[in-house]
Amino acid sequence: MPTLTIDNQQVTVTDGSTVLDAAEQLGIIIPHFCYHKALGPVGSCRMCAVTVHEGTFKGLKMSCLVKAEEGMVVTTDDQQSVEFRARVGEWLMLNHPHDCPVCDEGGECQLQEMTIASGHGIRRYGGKKRTHNNQQLGSFVAQEMNRCIQCYRCVRTYKDYCGGSDFGVMGSRNRVFFGRYKEGPLESDFSGNIIDACPTGVFTDKTYRFKSRYWDLQEAPSVCPHCSLGCATIPGGRYGELQRVRSGVNEKVNGFFICDRGRFGSSYVNHPDRRRQVRSDGQPLTVGDGLSKLDAQARELIEEHGPEAVLLLGSNRASLETNWLLQRWAAELGCRAPLLSAHLQRHQAAQVAAFDLSDRLASLEKVRQSDLVVLFGVDPLAEAPMLAVALRQAARNGALIMVYDPRPIELPCEVDHQPTSPAQLLAMLVSDCEPEIVRIREMLSEAEMPVLVAGGDLLGAEGLLRVKQLAVEQSNEKRPCLIHPILGGPNSFGSAVLSLPEQDDLLTRLESGRTKMLICVETDPLLEAPEGERFGTALSHVDNLVVFDYLPTPLSVHANLFIPSTAPAESAGSFINNEGRQQLFAPVTNPRLPIAETGAGNHPPREFLSTAPGSDPQPAWQLLQQLLGDMGDLETVRQQMATAVPRLVDFTNLQPGGVCCRVTDADERSLYAGDLPEQPEGSLQLVVTPARYGSDLPSRFSAKLTPRFAPAVLQMNPKDAAALKLAAGSKVSLDTEVGSFNLILNCNKDVAAGCALVENGAAFPHLVPGGLPSFCQVSAGVRDD
Amino acid sequence: MSTPQLLFKNRRPGETVFIDGYKATGGYQGLEMALKDSSPEEIREQVKESGLRGRGGAGFPTGFKWNFFPSGAPGPKYLVCNCDEMEPGTYKDGVLLAADPHQLVEGMILSAFALQTDVGYIFIRYAYEQQADYLRKAIAEAKAAGYIGKNILGSGFDFELHVHGSAGRYILGEETALLNGLEGIRPNPRLKPPFPATRGLFGRPTTVNNVETIANIPHIITGGALWFRDLALTPGSSGTKLYGLSGHFNVTECFELPVGIPLREIVENYGGGIRGGRKFKACLPGGASTPYLTAEHMDVALDFDSLEKVDSRYGTAGVTAFDDQTCMVAATFNLINFFARESCGWCSPCRDGLVMVRWLLETIDNGQGTPEHLEMLKDQLKNIAGNSFCALAEGAMGPLAGLLNHFEQEIVDHIETGKCPFRK
Amino acid sequence: MAQEEKIDQIGLLEEEELAAFIDHACELEHPREMVIDVLRAIQKNHGWVPDEGVELTATILGITPIEVEEVATFYDKIFRRQVGRFPIHICDSICCWSNGGEELAEQFQKTLGITFGETTKDGLFTLLPSCCLGVCGQAPAVMIHQKLYGPLQLDDVDELINRLRREASA
Repeated sequence: MPTLTIDNQQVTVTDGSTVLDAAEQLGIIIPHFCYHKALGPVGSCRMCAVTVHEGTFKGLKMSCLVKAEEGMVVTTDDQQSVEFRARVGEWLMLNHPHDCPVCDEGGECQLQEMTIASGHGIRRYGGKKRTHNNQQLGSFVAQEMNRCIQCYRCVRTYKDYCGGSDFGVMGSRNRVFFGRYKEGPLESDFSGNIIDACPTGVFTDKTYRFKSRYWDLQEAPSVCPHCSLGCATIPGGRYGELQRVRSGVNEKVNGFFICDRGRFGSSYVNHPDRRRQVRSDGQPLTVGDGLSKLDAQARELIEEHGPEAVLLLGSNRASLETNWLLQRWAAELGCRAPLLSAHLQRHQAAQVAAFDLSDRLASLEKVRQSDLVVLFGVDPLAEAPMLAVALRQAARNGALIMVYDPRPIELPCEVDHQPTSPAQLLAMLVSDCEPEIVRIREMLSEAEMPVLVAGGDLLGAEGLLRVKQLAVEQSNEKRPCLIHPILGGPNSFGSAVLSLPEQDDLLTRLESGRTKMLICVETDPLLEAPEGERFGTALSHVDNLVVFDYLPTPLSVHANLFIPSTAPAESAGSFINNEGRQQLFAPVTNPRLPIAETGAGNHPPREFLSTAPGSDPQPAWQLLQQLLGDMGDLETVRQQMATAVPRLVDFTNLQPGGVCCRVTDADERSLYAGDLPEQPEGSLQLVVTPARYGSDLPSRFSAKLTPRFAPAVLQMNPKDAAALKLAAGSKVSLDTEVGSFNLILNCNKDVAAGCALVENGAAFPHLVPGGLPSFCQVSAGVRDD
Repeated sequence: MSTPQLLFKNRRPGETVFIDGYKATGGYQGLEMALKDSSPEEIREQVKESGLRGRGGAGFPTGFKWNFFPSGAPGPKYLVCNCDEMEPGTYKDGVLLAADPHQLVEGMILSAFALQTDVGYIFIRYAYEQQADYLRKAIAEAKAAGYIGKNILGSGFDFELHVHGSAGRYILGEETALLNGLEGIRPNPRLKPPFPATRGLFGRPTTVNNVETIANIPHIITGGALWFRDLALTPGSSGTKLYGLSGHFNVTECFELPVGIPLREIVENYGGGIRGGRKFKACLPGGASTPYLTAEHMDVALDFDSLEKVDSRYGTAGVTAFDDQTCMVAATFNLINFFARESCGWCSPCRDGLVMVRWLLETIDNGQGTPEHLEMLKDQLKNIAGNSFCALAEGAMGPLAGLLNHFEQEIVDHIETGKCPFRK
Repeated sequence: MAQEEKIDQIGLLEEEELAAFIDHACELEHPREMVIDVLRAIQKNHGWVPDEGVELTATILGITPIEVEEVATFYDKIFRRQVGRFPIHICDSICCWSNGGEELAEQFQKTLGITFGETTKDGLFTLLPSCCLGVCGQAPAVMIHQKLYGPLQLDDVDELINRLRREASA
């Protein structure tokens, strides 16, 4: 812990800190470009120069490279340093075009800020500027190479940090070019990070091009709703339109970067089909009238048919507050406790994570620091993309990454992947002699910071419990063996924390015929539950279907009463991520019809209204408060909730985009998930995996992501295909318990033998990941059903 | 010629000596002696004693550099010879290899033994394909003679030697850029520390030495450290040096002469004076990156320390002379143009700062300069020198410093008359 | 062999050469160190390195085309654009400059009717400026296919060009 003096102020910093870090601790921001917290220093831009008066190396030094020493004396504002930094500013601006008025970076341009900070103002260079031809890099990232100041951050982000393989630096001297070998869409699932990493307008968000100036944009810290990791994001909106998302910083979770699904998957908020008005059997109503009608009908039904007549359904997309108020409203109505998920198996897996694993959860930060990560039933790029980047960081530091999964796993790092079918996976976890588990045990016992990553969808509750057994057995006094579970949705853990121990199934309840009214809050079981078709049939028993949602789901079209709620970016709320971290999000914009739509490209109509068109949607928690007749604001709700659910972190300690804490440990829940089914002879194990884009509903309804949507295919190991005499590329019929589907066959040797793999997504929504282990037949030809 | 000829012992115009000729004059005796009688430590000690300083330009004491090398560390270690001789005015390694390639091969084996490295690379520039062919032949001969391979001369020491080509670019002469070039990745210099002795080629301990440096090793082993020291003319110096003469000398050849020889002798005796009966105006004493010497420096001894005292550098001892009709602004513009074009593009002072300097010199040379341009030139020198990532931009500032030190009036003349006083 | 033929679709390398590179890449712990060797071999056969050459190099070494391109575009003696049969590198560094290098360069341009970076219509010659070629004692000098010529007088240019033309038509 050296103490040093910077600009006459003393500061004590941790060992290994640089002078740049130490200055920042004092609030002195030394201008810099090539240094980035996640990428580290490389010493190329020379902008962060300071003068070292006392220390091992004296004189003008780059503060990003010089380690803080005891007794060091440094100045940042002496003439030598100030003058040198001004020169660096001048050098960097030699070729920079004066196109700030038409540059999307304007207003949030680090080059602009640092140039001013460096003191460079007047251009003296009168020579020719170098110019470049730009490349078309696909639909996400726009390139304008003339603006480049060669800080190398893009290539360090894209290639070194995120592991992309189709981007690099070409040429040399003052003509270096950052781009692809040939024009074409960037292939990495983390390509958008170069937008954030670029300190100027070389790489900008193409989907946001010319939409807003930074200072006109409304931004607020948020939590990504696209998977269970809960990465920090900063969405930005204007004129009722959510225009872009950039990465937030959460060192415990995503670090500094996010995935493309999170970045470019935000346009669901502005979906043209989004319903923004209460509709009762097709008739528009005010929100107040709609809620009164709902309240009256619900009470009437319960009175007439008993507590089973009304069924409330929460979800892992709905916030913690919404799910909890749903429970309160149920109690107030006198109906049975709500189900907090339409997907029983996913909900059970989440409960195992939230209860049984709660004392051994690992954050993504822990994954990055681990020296041995073993993944059981997880495909990171499909289920939790930033996990892949975290694994890469571990691997870069020398960690070994082992994956046991039936899918053809692609990771941006070296990985030891053993294709393993779901049944093999579950069996090996409790085996004493299976060679792979013997090998894993041996390696785990030698690892210093081992982490087991467990996929809730593939392993189910039972599999997660088996991974826990392994972790318990591999923990010792010196270090625990931690688990990083991957769950179904952004608030899976949260709804599990709130859930009651009793297990209940939506379909059983509906098929009993006793439910007269079903109220779905931010969920569509047709798309989000494993047996969508059976749910559809069961719905016929229900007289009254009520839907609260912000997505134009099929279910909301069928609803007798539809009440529009707000998207996470339009409301305050909280989610609990896959490792139990309670995180707040803040509202970015108010819900309203985007001006771009109301004006149809022209100026919007000049009518004087007291409210904006389409501004009816309200946060679901607020709608529920009205139904409860409670006028308490969000703080009050949170206070009540934290009191009622002692595991939750006191909300007053948390901040959106700032402090987030893990909920406290809980006792084991000891769920009984049921026996694993036997595999019928001659069948294949059915593996349903989320598509990388368009499996979670927000991304499916985001038009920006459609270029990345993949066509529906069935994947099999070529040996299995050969045994069944099926040719790769041919049309095959997939027969499952829930129906038959015609698909094109792809053969891939990295698919585990004995498995048939399909991706759930926009092109194939029929099968949903995370259901009970099930089996299927694959046969040649097309079947008409 | 009274200077003992070590490196040019076998040099005959237009001829290349191979193993028979090399052995006929005592070649490989040093290696045979050393492998039989000496330990690696003893050889390292002898090299340290000899006072040999790196002949690639920086002049770092070789024995000192070798002492950093973890020769006892387990696992692969590398010895790399830097034959990326690309600094304008420097061609001595090319001449040496064209005359007598086995000297380098023997030197590499001896050095590898001293450092206990089992693999060696000779990284050779694109334009020296002829020399690369000679080296490949010499290595094959040495292999056949049992000097390279497993258990060399029964000593238990194994060594493999490879020739690795390049494809242009001056930056490859920077040792860490060279290592990246060898690895097949972009040859930007690396951040130091870690130094190559700790993490060099493929992340393993590596030492990088110049051709002439390594070619001196067999002579030090056979002749002894003291003898080698005494070859130099000035105290604190040691050995002979290859001086490549170029520019406006009457004779533009490469000579082996003592370290510490006065400039006058080079100009008057070896260079044969300035061509066309003109006067000596200035010279680059050791390659394009060394600040100019002028007529007032005629009696300065050419060695590392003496030249530092007159704000110049010994460099590679490639002496490029300029006659009294040379415009030093134009000459410096030419030199800066070289450095700006050869920048790897990594750090700002080099990539962009040199472009700025080039533009300033061009503007002044064209007669469009103003007093502000002169001030800016001084200001660029002050800020670029010492502040770049590697030594390339630092080297580029050598001639600029020389220009401003000795020929500021020439700049002023350009500015005041609005034209180049030397241009017809 | 059938597979090897497939990876070099336009015959950039001799069959034995390709096989030797593939074998050598398999032997080496770090095959990437061969990148310049392979690019130079392709250039020697084909005169320059087309996209297919970058891709072939990547295949031989088991790396991505961008990784090859990052290196190929760094070096000025690897041509990523078509050049004439005789690319003439004219040294413009200090020793040649001080010995009439600029006049020599002008003479080449006049004789061939092209400027730097251009190729003669017959596809024979490309003029390129080069940094120091390492023959400073024989200034001014030029390099053609790794062969050095110097010192060159202005009168020598015609003769050199004619000799190369004869070589081309032979």
